[in-house]
Amino acid sequence: MPVPCRTGCGKNAMLKRPKTGDALCKDCFFWAFETEIHFTITKAELFKSGDSVAVAASGGKDSTVLAHVLKTLNQRFNYGLNLMLLSIDEGITGYRDDSLETVKQNRDDYEMPLKILSYKELYGWTMDEIVAQIGRKNNCTFCGVFRRQALDRGAAMLGVKCIATGHNADDIAETVLMNVLRGDIARLKRCTAITTGSEGTIPRVKPLKYTYEKEIVMYAHYKKLVYFSTECVFAPNAYRGHARALLKDMEKIRASCIMDIIYSGETMAVKEEVTLPSQRTCIRCNFVSSQEVCKACVLLEGLNKGLPKLGIGKSSKAKKMLEEYNAQQTNYKESLQAAAKELDDVQSKKELCLSDSKNCKSGLCKGKTKLNRNSSINSNDYTNSSNAKECCSNCSGSCERIKVNADVNNTKVNTLLEKYVINETNIAKVNGEGTLCNPSNSDDNLNNSDDEEHTHAEYIDTHIEQEDETCSASCGKLGSLNIGF
Amino acid sequence: MICKKCKNSGSVTVRKEHMYCDNCFMLNINHKFRSCIGKNKILSSNDNVLVCLTGGKSSTVLLDLIFNGLSQDSHKKLRMVPFFLHITGLGEKENDITVAELIIKQCQSYNFNVYIVNICEYYFQRNNTLPSVNSVTDVHNWTELNSNTNLKSILGKMTSTSSNDIEMKIKHDIFIRAAKQLKCDFIFTAETTTTLAVNLLSNLAIGRGSQVQDDIGFFDNRDENIKILRPMKDITEEELHHYIRIKNLIEISVDTIRGNSLQSVIKTFVTDLQENFPATVSTVCKTADKIGSVDKNTNRCKFCKSNLPEKSDKITAIDATIFSRTVSNGQPPIANRNTGAEEQEDIKMSLFPFIDNYFCYCCSKNYLEAGLHDSNFFEISGSKNL
Repeated sequence: MPVPCRTGCGKNAMLKRPKTGDALCKDCFFWAFETEIHFTITKAELFKSGDSVAVAASGGKDSTVLAHVLKTLNQRFNYGLNLMLLSIDEGITGYRDDSLETVKQNRDDYEMPLKILSYKELYGWTMDEIVAQIGRKNNCTFCGVFRRQALDRGAAMLGVKCIATGHNADDIAETVLMNVLRGDIARLKRCTAITTGSEGTIPRVKPLKYTYEKEIVMYAHYKKLVYFSTECVFAPNAYRGHARALLKDMEKIRASCIMDIIYSGETMAVKEEVTLPSQRTCIRCNFVSSQEVCKACVLLEGLNKGLPKLGIGKSSKAKKMLEEYNAQQTNYKESLQAAAKELDDVQSKKELCLSDSKNCKSGLCKGKTKLNRNSSINSNDYTNSSNAKECCSNCSGSCERIKVNADVNNTKVNTLLEKYVINETNIAKVNGEGTLCNPSNSDDNLNNSDDEEHTHAEYIDTHIEQEDETCSASCGKLGSLNIGF
Repeated sequence: MICKKCKNSGSVTVRKEHMYCDNCFMLNINHKFRSCIGKNKILSSNDNVLVCLTGGKSSTVLLDLIFNGLSQDSHKKLRMVPFFLHITGLGEKENDITVAELIIKQCQSYNFNVYIVNICEYYFQRNNTLPSVNSVTDVHNWTELNSNTNLKSILGKMTSTSSNDIEMKIKHDIFIRAAKQLKCDFIFTAETTTTLAVNLLSNLAIGRGSQVQDDIGFFDNRDENIKILRPMKDITEEELHHYIRIKNLIEISVDTIRGNSLQSVIKTFVTDLQENFPATVSTVCKTADKIGSVDKNTNRCKFCKSNLPEKSDKITAIDATIFSRTVSNGQPPIANRNTGAEEQEDIKMSLFPFIDNYFCYCCSKNYLEAGLHDSNFFEISGSKNL
């Protein structure tokens, strides 16, 4: 039996609204849907007249509906907004490339300017490449962190006043649950806010905060909006999936629970005695961060340095690791300069045991080196010197680095480095054996697959030891040899 | 396999990796119980404490832990004077009697007396008189149950989610009243970490997020004089199994959560997730310890006694839901049209009756579900004095 539309328009109802259980016909639903978003926007004062607003567009249903409704309301109620689309191309084959086509369609349909930023141009990595490095787990961490910052960068480029995102009520309820399950109190506090962003950053607003996903799908369907509805190919492994599954089960029992969870989130507060990380700007990229160095920089650093696991896990650990790494880098530069200086000295003095002095520069056997040098000062070993020279000119600093690594006391960094710094160790190994360094060697090793990693780690372990031994042993050996001469 | 404490051969495995021998395990559980009471420094020496029992695992263990504590010598002795209470009357009559008789037997084996109270009788009477101790017959001969005071049938007509919630609140109310009668300033209930994690998520799901502090923390501070304490809050469901097995205790499994409800879905979810992520329960409970409330108002909900929210201009889920109803009622499409105040009030009443004046968000929704008629049990119980 057909149910009449609750508004009394005389038509038959087409859907039951999950929020209140009221049944409405198609036209009344369109009107109710749009008016509700208008109510949210005006009541929460999300926009000011004359603002430029970037709609974060993924091509999915939420952002497509958001763009459509904002354009409609902007005209209907004279918001005076200058709307534009902002898309991020993560570089996920089979997902984003297709969805961007949808965004381009939106651009033409809604006559809004579109800006696409890609991870490749911002960070030098596509998600596909990152996944190849990190594996199937934890990759949503990279994608999420990078996108957050990419949106900020894009918004800054477009010069907009705020970014509107398509987060719907289901998303927010899901986030509340997830943050409780993960014990993330700082995010729990801010995840239900309709506007987020501190001083000096571009605020994000969620006009669809009180709109059910179900209604968004209905709206998009009946309005025949073009949207892209494939789940990201990497998403099934994300922890969020647990929270989503729970929410879906709960929604079946009581549809209003999504609003109830949002209400819970809104009325909850963090106890005063709990200390929360304060938001500030990253010292490297100047974008918003809760740490001295933001997560995006940490993750990127990890990728570029060949330690993709650097940013996974506690941020305090990552910070520590990074500091160590920086210290190590400084060390490395200093030692490089010192080595270069010494090299000059040595060469001017026609001193021959070059490899000795360089090898032992920052090592434990410094005293020994000096001793050896002194003892070998009169000896004539051309082979040795030419070897060292060749090595230096061919692989410039690279062969130096691993020796510095051996000095770093932090075991965590050491283990990580041992695990991931493949190319450098190999060079060092080659160097240690006194043959030529081959740059192509390192390139090959960069592309190692996961399966090989284990063996490589072991490989490296032994070679680091060897390196150490070579240093002290060769010093000793050469020294004694020289003395023998 | 050896015990990680004493290096003797272990017999109990906790969280799949920690091995204990029976002795060390029991010491550990005892310690968790005592330290939970000790470190909160709420209980002072020789306070009267009302202990609420259900006959289930956690309550059986609580009873045993209290007995152990009381029978320790001098400086280790648990200094409190316990009174025991069991609430009955919502299940099948035969089953209720079996459970009550078991609890009497449990208590008598420790030389304790227990009050068996019928939920309907006690809740709707106003004089708070407790029946004589260790007697089941009194409470089950109560015949004056009419349709207005038969909680079982009233709750049976509501959704299981709401009945679960209402039942819990009614029991709390009875705890407090019985405690007053027995001059106890403290109440012990036997929620374990696992139960509390489920309760936290349930609280969120039914809109009681701002009440998490009282509902999940170590103590419930909603009553001015009487505090409800949860001394088992650091003990997990898994540890209860071992405790009962080692001590050979008799318990009767009582599942108080009605099926097909938000609470039951959450319980299944937490249990399943705990399998693969053993830190789930403790993480959830640690989160609960950090959550407070924005509601600093002194007005309280007439039913659950929680603080009511302050009036605020910020848009909330309540405004959004009310507006949803407004547009569904077919207002002409004029944005922000000032609907008449009366009309607005009607709409609010149709979704959140007496919210912010008498009830909190969730209780208001429960009231709505119980029906807006005169014989609503909220009215009869006197929780809403209009």
